[in-house]
Amino acid sequence: MRLAGAELIDSREILPGQWLQSFHAPELVAGARAGQFVHVRTGDYSGLVLRRPFSFNTIDPIAGTLTIHFRTIGRGTEWFTRLRPGDRVDMLGPLGRPFEVDPRTRHVLLVAGGLGMAGVRALADAAIRDGRQVTLLFGAARASEVYPSSLLPDEVEYIVATDDGSVGHHGFVTDLVPDYEAWADQAFACGPQPMLRALAGLAASRRRRLGVASLGRKRGAGRPIPVGSPQARRRAFLQVSMEQNMGCAVGACLGCVVMDTKGAPQRVCREGPVFASDEIDWEGGW
Amino acid sequence: MKARRRVVTNGGAPAKRRPTVRRIKPAILPATRRIAPAAPSAPVASSGNGAGSSATAERRAGPGAPMSPEREIDLTVDLGRGLRLANPILVASGTFGYGVEYGDVVDVQRLGAICCKGTTLRPRVGNPTPRVTETPGGMLNSIGLQNPGVDAVLDKYAATWSRWRVPVIVNVAGESIADFTEVARRLDGQPGIAGIELNISCPNVGKGGIQFAIDAEAAGAVTAAVRRATDLPLLVKLSPNVADVRPIARAIADAGADALSAINTLSGIAVGPARSRPLLGNIYGGLSGPAIKPVALRVVYEASQVVDIPVVAIGGVTELADVLDYLAVGAVAVQVGTAIFADPTLPARLVDELGAECRRRGLDDYRPLIGTALPKRAGPPSAKGVEYRP
Repeated sequence: MRLAGAELIDSREILPGQWLQSFHAPELVAGARAGQFVHVRTGDYSGLVLRRPFSFNTIDPIAGTLTIHFRTIGRGTEWFTRLRPGDRVDMLGPLGRPFEVDPRTRHVLLVAGGLGMAGVRALADAAIRDGRQVTLLFGAARASEVYPSSLLPDEVEYIVATDDGSVGHHGFVTDLVPDYEAWADQAFACGPQPMLRALAGLAASRRRRLGVASLGRKRGAGRPIPVGSPQARRRAFLQVSMEQNMGCAVGACLGCVVMDTKGAPQRVCREGPVFASDEIDWEGGW
Repeated sequence: MKARRRVVTNGGAPAKRRPTVRRIKPAILPATRRIAPAAPSAPVASSGNGAGSSATAERRAGPGAPMSPEREIDLTVDLGRGLRLANPILVASGTFGYGVEYGDVVDVQRLGAICCKGTTLRPRVGNPTPRVTETPGGMLNSIGLQNPGVDAVLDKYAATWSRWRVPVIVNVAGESIADFTEVARRLDGQPGIAGIELNISCPNVGKGGIQFAIDAEAAGAVTAAVRRATDLPLLVKLSPNVADVRPIARAIADAGADALSAINTLSGIAVGPARSRPLLGNIYGGLSGPAIKPVALRVVYEASQVVDIPVVAIGGVTELADVLDYLAVGAVAVQVGTAIFADPTLPARLVDELGAECRRRGLDDYRPLIGTALPKRAGPPSAKGVEYRP
């Protein structure tokens, strides 16, 4: 975790109300991994007292740049859209725990809903760089909110669902997942909580029917794996990136918790944002 | 001045005071830094006005160069019972976790003290989410005192804290007087615990939250009970959610508290995006941040005039001007809270800026800044701890 200045290089409105901004921040990018996030201070000190968390949308450690992808939903995000190249912002990061891809995984399934694309986008790059096959299922409300395929690596198989059927599959993105569950070695998802809950249900049923065939056989077979550990996530079929209102983003304020299956609160900013889907209590009232 | 002599030299102080002073924290400061060995007659204002050069000068003029005209300003503060802080900038409970979370980006040893997350006798899972939301000039939180319980806190952090130079004040909450006293008893005598801040004013829990802070009699009773249970320095945190804070402050001081901290959050709600229900999972939250500063100023102003014990101000400190405002209305120290989320380095920077401000004004220490805005007839408030009353 470092506190560093980041210089805006490029700012584009890629979809109505959705922005893609590129920052030069070598200190933050060094060592950052897909699934982690940065906590960015707005320059509007008059009324905004909290930083804004953004997933690493892409990470380029050689150029020392990162991108963030967000929708304008309030004064904070609007402030970011007014930034011009050369402007500097204060970033805290990299924060949280990343996605863990098992070294033996060859087929990676990514599932994103809406702005959830920002959560899994960096993993597409990382998986392709490691020689894995990537299929990205993306769900949006309508055609005008579909993430442009030109911003994705060529190697990604990109399949779209829209709620109103204006492009791609007519329905939820979760409808597409059963076609890929046998193909995929691991799945990674980010999006609205109902989508993640549905996916967790699918993953649990897949585990019952198909098991987790390739993973965890050789070393440490039979030894229990501590909940919340990187190994637990690496073994899981489905890893999800969770979202909660956040205060400090370092684990101090306990504002951003989700409940695990044992009823214990887990901090999204510290133990997450990436969890194995079977660690989360999806039925809990939190 | 008297307080300073008491700790450094131990000379002249009655012998019965010494055990308390030494038991709490034998070395809050390393001996070399405990006091800048200042000659009282040294010229102060002659070259102390160059704020621009002060940073480099300060580095040059370490503790070993007491005669330098730009020597270290005395920022030490005595909150009573030997709880001596290196400077009057604390971090507020709930915003700094257990002091370890921000370790990568903040040098915690530079802080005056750390007030840790509210700690209860038994573990608490806290409130449903969402628990935090931003509001104009502030934020609402309803964490609901999530914590692993006092035993787990001691297990996990006490050893770390005892190695720190910075004192850690454990914020204690409870549902009943028995809860408060039991937690205090378990903290008593533990290494690494410099003091207790009684959180009798949490607005976010159903039972045992705020009712102790809104009634003078109850506030006095819980303070007195904890006072009997421990010799640790005892701060009590006032709630602003009352009609008149003065009788409550007086009752707490009379019951044997060493210092007051003011204020806890103001109760409030926010509405959810669809306007179908309140936003926070707990409906009610506590408002903090710059939005509450005028309220906190009022409470500190009122409380510091009716008690003889030190008052530690909390509420929307985001810059040096806020610190000076609170000192002016009678606080001897301030806690930085919500502003840490935006700028974790702020508290340490405020320490530097307060020193520079004293230097700019030609002051030896920051105490002349205290109480300058209080009514003259009230007289200056106490800037030192209460005498030890066995």
